[in-house]
Amino acid sequence: MRAMRQRLDTWLPLIVLGVLVLAVGLYDRTFFSLGNVLEVTADTMTLFLMASGVTLVIMMGGIDLSVQAVASMTSCILAVYLPELGFFAIPFAVLGGIVAGFVGGYVSTRLRIPSFIATLAVSGAVLSAGYWFSETRSINIPGELSQKYLSWAVGNFLGVPNEIWVGAFFLVLLSLVLGLTPFGRVVRGIGAQERAVIASGIDVDRVKIAAYTLSGTMAGIAGVVMAARLGSGSPTLANEFLLPAIASIVVGGTAITGGVGSVWRTFVGALIVQVVRIGMTFMGVSVFAQQIVFGVILVAAVAVTMDRNKVLVIK
Amino acid sequence: MSVPVLEIRGVSKSFPGVKALDDVSFAIARGEVVGLIGENGAGKSTLLKILNGVYQPDSGEILVDGRSVSVASPRQAFDSGIAMVFQEQSILPTLTVAENIFLGREEEFIRFGLISRSRMHAAAAEELRKVHLDIDPGMRCADLAFAARQMVEIAKALSLNSRIKGHVTILLDEPTSVLEQKEVDLLFRIIRDLRDRASFVFISHRLEEVLDISDRVYVMRDGKVVKELSARSASVKDLHQLMVGRQLHHEYYREARQVPPSPAVVLAAEGLSRHGAFHDVSFDLHEGEVLGIAGVVGSGREDLARCLAGHRRPDSGTLHIAGAAVRFAAPHEAAGAGVGLVPAERKVEGLVAPFSVAENMTLAALPRFVSHGAIRFAAELGVARDWIERLKIKTPSPDTMVGSLSGGNQQKVVLAKWRIAGVRVLILDHPTRGIDVGAKEDVYDLIRDMTAEGLAVILLGDTLEEVIGLSSRILVMRDGAITARLDAPPGGKPRQVDILRHMV
Repeated sequence: MRAMRQRLDTWLPLIVLGVLVLAVGLYDRTFFSLGNVLEVTADTMTLFLMASGVTLVIMMGGIDLSVQAVASMTSCILAVYLPELGFFAIPFAVLGGIVAGFVGGYVSTRLRIPSFIATLAVSGAVLSAGYWFSETRSINIPGELSQKYLSWAVGNFLGVPNEIWVGAFFLVLLSLVLGLTPFGRVVRGIGAQERAVIASGIDVDRVKIAAYTLSGTMAGIAGVVMAARLGSGSPTLANEFLLPAIASIVVGGTAITGGVGSVWRTFVGALIVQVVRIGMTFMGVSVFAQQIVFGVILVAAVAVTMDRNKVLVIK
Repeated sequence: MSVPVLEIRGVSKSFPGVKALDDVSFAIARGEVVGLIGENGAGKSTLLKILNGVYQPDSGEILVDGRSVSVASPRQAFDSGIAMVFQEQSILPTLTVAENIFLGREEEFIRFGLISRSRMHAAAAEELRKVHLDIDPGMRCADLAFAARQMVEIAKALSLNSRIKGHVTILLDEPTSVLEQKEVDLLFRIIRDLRDRASFVFISHRLEEVLDISDRVYVMRDGKVVKELSARSASVKDLHQLMVGRQLHHEYYREARQVPPSPAVVLAAEGLSRHGAFHDVSFDLHEGEVLGIAGVVGSGREDLARCLAGHRRPDSGTLHIAGAAVRFAAPHEAAGAGVGLVPAERKVEGLVAPFSVAENMTLAALPRFVSHGAIRFAAELGVARDWIERLKIKTPSPDTMVGSLSGGNQQKVVLAKWRIAGVRVLILDHPTRGIDVGAKEDVYDLIRDMTAEGLAVILLGDTLEEVIGLSSRILVMRDGAITARLDAPPGGKPRQVDILRHMV
């Protein structure tokens, strides 16, 4: 029975995805066309990139609420500096994400502030930074600059949109980091039983700061890809992404209490969120009401993935 | 004896791997004060927790006024007239004194759906007067001194007496361990005052106090009541003897394998102090020796062990490892210097339960199993298999989740972890807690194996007997200071009474 439950937990997100795809596909047959499948997947990638780094943080039992603001800020940095710095504007923009992630991690571990407060505070600071970089405007990225420097993110390769290649690259990379490196193992250990990891003589703070930094980095990359796709940077570019990002992670089956999860699951979760979004659009649900649905999905997914019987007190 | 106010008959309670209570019977008469003594792990706390509804007995029954009752929760215990003063305080520091005293019983102060502060404070002041505690009931408990908080805790338990009609029983689990003599005297006066309305069960490591306040004393050992005697006719020495019980048998602790320690000093502590825990502790630890530290809960030995392993910081004093001065700010620094801790809370600090046996074993030595940034899984599994064999760990495979193993095998995994990390000093905090007899003997063998290879071991034993049997030298601690240093060579082991004398 228990083994069955576990197997179900593993496959449930994929089954849900399959059912949703089928449902939407039956509603509109064109949904199944290769072109559409690629487009939907490409559209999902920015969400996935943003959620992928947060996955590690959630696996440690923490949370990173700053990713949405970080992605917006890096889009601004990219748009502002691309004409000046050319290609180097990309690493410069991502650097913004790295710094934001590091600060969040440093504050939460070294100053012993709960991560949701630390990253919420960083989120505020980063939002202001985005306004400062962009002088509160939306900044267009000229087409020829985009051609020159950002085609790796928005072009096609072998008939597949480059967003998918970028997403797949980080999916594989982060999966390897999580599965094969000591860092990945300690991240998992921190979520499962942090005190035992500390008592085993591991510098847990360092690992945690690294994970938050990674989360900020991935948000930064997501911001760059987003700016490339939309052809502009804006301090509010990634608004309304935080809730779907966390929903993707949890819907994929990563436990909000830490210890269990993977980047693959987040990938599947992001696809689920995207298909739900498309389904709602088909059914004529207003864009403004869609956040309600994501909220409901988030709560439902936590209810399913978390073994609430084992947790005595919920805070 | 007429019908006892509180009685338990044939109560047994097992935890995985241990029988904490074995067919225990126990009775308290109206107005009686009953002392309950025994070594750590004898079953006293388990017994109290059953009476208080925290644990459910596996078998046997609880009777109040001769009627069988079920005590499924502390609240039910309270309603049956049983209140407990916890060893670890149950006072909520952010609430006021009055709120704490009447926590969960606010109904009687409710007027128009709101709690009437003035009524509650007046009632609290009344309760505080009974314990001669002159404080404002509106004070936050966090602002009280430790002993005052303890008195609030006692006032809370005693308040039951004025709230419930009929007789009550108050369970006092080591209520005096943090109190000054003056406060102890006061507590005893209160207990005597209340005897016409309440009965008491009194647990303390201070045997003089037990004899002073109790009418009868129950002595527990290994989960059983081994003796019930009148306090008037007993002496502290009798109690010591009864607590200790059986004679040591040398083979059990592998005494023949006890090696004379080498002169090389691995770890040297000088004047180590930590405020409120221990002070001016100095000792040398030699290669290949087992240094036992004996002491009751609150003697400071747990804090000392944690300071040595970097889990806490001492305020003053110096620590040398292999001649070099060290100062540990975190466990990873201690581990880096070759000091490991096998913690008492195995499931919380010892193991990552959802990790496999192999993953747990290599956790303290991960960098050694990495090449080009990736963990070498084959090497990891090989080492894990090797240690599973060496330590005779019963596990289906190295990939099995460690949480599914028995306590003894889990403990062996923790030991293997530190052996693989190659530590020179291993601190064992209750290494045989909660594991069965056979596994205990395996752990004793492993300790002898380690010392034979030159490791130095600091042992905070589960029982005094264990400390004596395994150690080559013993430090005795009381109230944060070392009170005795005894040699324990094979064949010349100190007697338990000699050590107990310095402990309590």
